[in-house]
Amino acid sequence: MGASLWPGNGRWRVLGRVAPWLALLLGLLMVRLSKGAGFADAYALLSRPFWPGPAQREWISSAASLEDQARLSLLEQDNQRLRDLLELQRTGGADSTVAAAVISRQPRGWWQQLELGKGSLNGISVADAVLGPGGLVGRVQSVTPTTARVRLLTAPGSEVGVWLPRSRRHGLLVGLGTHRPQLRFIDKDLDVRAGDLVSTSPASTLLPPNVPVGVIQSVDERAVPAPRAVVHLIAAPEAIDWVQVRID
Amino acid sequence: MAPLHRQPGCVSSALLVPVLSLATPPWLGLDGVPPAWAVLWLLPWALVDGPVSGAVAGIALGLVLDGLSLGGASQIPALLLLGWWWGRLGRRPPSIQRTLNLGLLAWIGSLAVGLSLLLQLLIQRGWTLDPWMSGWGWQTLLCQALVTALLAPMLVSMQLLLWRKRGTS
Repeated sequence: MGASLWPGNGRWRVLGRVAPWLALLLGLLMVRLSKGAGFADAYALLSRPFWPGPAQREWISSAASLEDQARLSLLEQDNQRLRDLLELQRTGGADSTVAAAVISRQPRGWWQQLELGKGSLNGISVADAVLGPGGLVGRVQSVTPTTARVRLLTAPGSEVGVWLPRSRRHGLLVGLGTHRPQLRFIDKDLDVRAGDLVSTSPASTLLPPNVPVGVIQSVDERAVPAPRAVVHLIAAPEAIDWVQVRID
Repeated sequence: MAPLHRQPGCVSSALLVPVLSLATPPWLGLDGVPPAWAVLWLLPWALVDGPVSGAVAGIALGLVLDGLSLGGASQIPALLLLGWWWGRLGRRPPSIQRTLNLGLLAWIGSLAVGLSLLLQLLIQRGWTLDPWMSGWGWQTLLCQALVTALLAPMLVSMQLLLWRKRGTS
């Protein structure tokens, strides 16, 4: 009889049963919107005992001197004068770096990304440049308090403006999913050949200037509307355990 | 028979999917492409627990995996449909348990997820894909489908056995 007096009782019971699942779905939606914040942080905490040791970190430090030599020769040639004229605030020495362990690596597959063991608590923010031994690896795409997600240069959708120091040309490095990104040019008449160094632009405000990126592997001069080149990246993400994040 | 979604132990096993997605060692993939862990977990779950539970689990897994990836394309539509379809298959006699059938279903599931991602990439780029990107997409799709199908007979059979036992006890 009680049930007949309260026709909505059944509905409330159903709602009571469904409510925890709705709450769970809502929670998962929050995870999605926060770019996996809770999960990524928990994974970082749990995987901390298995993080790579300091050996490669030291190797990076020694490799950094070689990288510095390459950068020095670029810096001697680059347009410091233009940068002064443009009053750009960024200079090579003004940036500070944070060394971070790679705690998850997906260099192949649908999403090509690295998960770093440091995040916004260490000063890392979205769009910071990430350097491996030898050169640029990618840019930070999202951060949580203790982790950062890096979009690799090879990832589909990755687009970075680059500079060819020898021919003094600009190009756009586009990730296509393959392990060799494509370099697209605007001009048709180019003096570009295999073996040319590709670096970040000396006048770049989005990335640190004059950072080596890769070497041109082949050039397709008949491509339409403008020539294209295939670039061999200097820093291969498959083997990187530690990276340096340039923070502002 | 207690449904799986009422057993916290079974529900919490879904946490393995994001953990494995983040921590897959390179040697477990094919040409560096990891298996579709979501498919390997969702297939036995939906077969045992039915279409509604399968579809909800597909949405839940999709939300978490989308949160842990770079974005641009979502796995939710494919996982939702697969969860529903496998749930309906599980309700029909005879029950699916042969390793070949499980491998085939996982292969189809992984292909469906890959095709949905490829389709989303195609739509985002105005229905034209660079030949290099197209080649990468098909290679990733086939590698993932193959490695998922190879792992399915072992992993999905074990989960089916375990979950059917828990469901009947």
